[in-house]
Amino acid sequence: VGRGWSERIDRRAIADCVPLFLPAIPFGFVLGLAITEGQMPMFIGWLGSPIIFAGAAQLAVVTLAGTASIWAVVTAGLVINTRHLMYSAALAPTFQHQPRWMRWFGPYLLIDQVFALVFLQSDRPPAEFRRYYLSVGLFFCLNWQWTVALGMIVGPVVPDSWRLDIAPAIMFLGLVVVGLQRRPQVLAAAVGGAVALATAGLRDRLGILVGALAGVAVGALAEWRVARAEPAVDVEEACA
Amino acid sequence: VRVSAWAALAITVVVGAMTYAMRAIAIVALAGRAIPVPLERALRNVGPAVLAALAFNLAAGGEGDAAGMSWPVVLAFAVTALTAWRLRSMLWSLGAGMTTLWIATALIT
Repeated sequence: VGRGWSERIDRRAIADCVPLFLPAIPFGFVLGLAITEGQMPMFIGWLGSPIIFAGAAQLAVVTLAGTASIWAVVTAGLVINTRHLMYSAALAPTFQHQPRWMRWFGPYLLIDQVFALVFLQSDRPPAEFRRYYLSVGLFFCLNWQWTVALGMIVGPVVPDSWRLDIAPAIMFLGLVVVGLQRRPQVLAAAVGGAVALATAGLRDRLGILVGALAGVAVGALAEWRVARAEPAVDVEEACA
Repeated sequence: VRVSAWAALAITVVVGAMTYAMRAIAIVALAGRAIPVPLERALRNVGPAVLAALAFNLAAGGEGDAAGMSWPVVLAFAVTALTAWRLRSMLWSLGAGMTTLWIATALIT
């Protein structure tokens, strides 16, 4: 007899999701408002939530549709999502130990918040990681659908003075710092953030990609230096 | 210009399919292959680099000359980072960061 759904859910994963989902609610409301004010039929605007499932790209698509060419709209959506290539690369070693169905289904759920949470759990045994990943991913996926729908109704009501537009950025920063353990990671984060800030004026949020690539490059350089230094440390320890 | 239902659906499906492809490509392509140790170590830095870039870019707001962090946001970021580093808690860092943002916004602007 199979286990019930309540037993399959990782309750700690759901608890981890809540503080990340709260800042996503106003973002969902902003998107819902944009859908109601955009040039797309409203139902198809909402359909982007289950089909694209990436808030920033959805916002770009519904905002640009009708004001730019179709190819410009598609390109903007894709450029914004380019960082997902790096999420995929970063989690590829962990997914190597997952069954085939998980390797094909899991990526559908791989949004920013899911990556931020599961990246900290990469060292878990495969079955535990899968349970955590699916709990987190499905939590965000299911809740995102109603949040955007609700946003189409109540989006205009949230006051700007709450500054909830900044909440996702603060949440991501907290996640980065909580997860930092090694010097190359600190360097990668510092350079990634600084370059992304310096290039924030670029169109279509291209600065995210530029900053991320710079951070990864510096992190790789730091890893190379650490790897070079490690044998020397071993020799010192052996002599001691 | 109002977008027709078919054009809107086509845009949504194409962006959705390409987004899925970007999320899946490395996970599916690297399945069953040995990943060189240096590459595996380098990939550990992708998360911090991308998330930090995302945080600062989102905080900077608009595009072109409008992009930049206001003082209340800078202060909120500093308190968030310090709290996260000392307490290792996402919830406390979010609470401290948002509280700082509200107080600094009220005092500075």
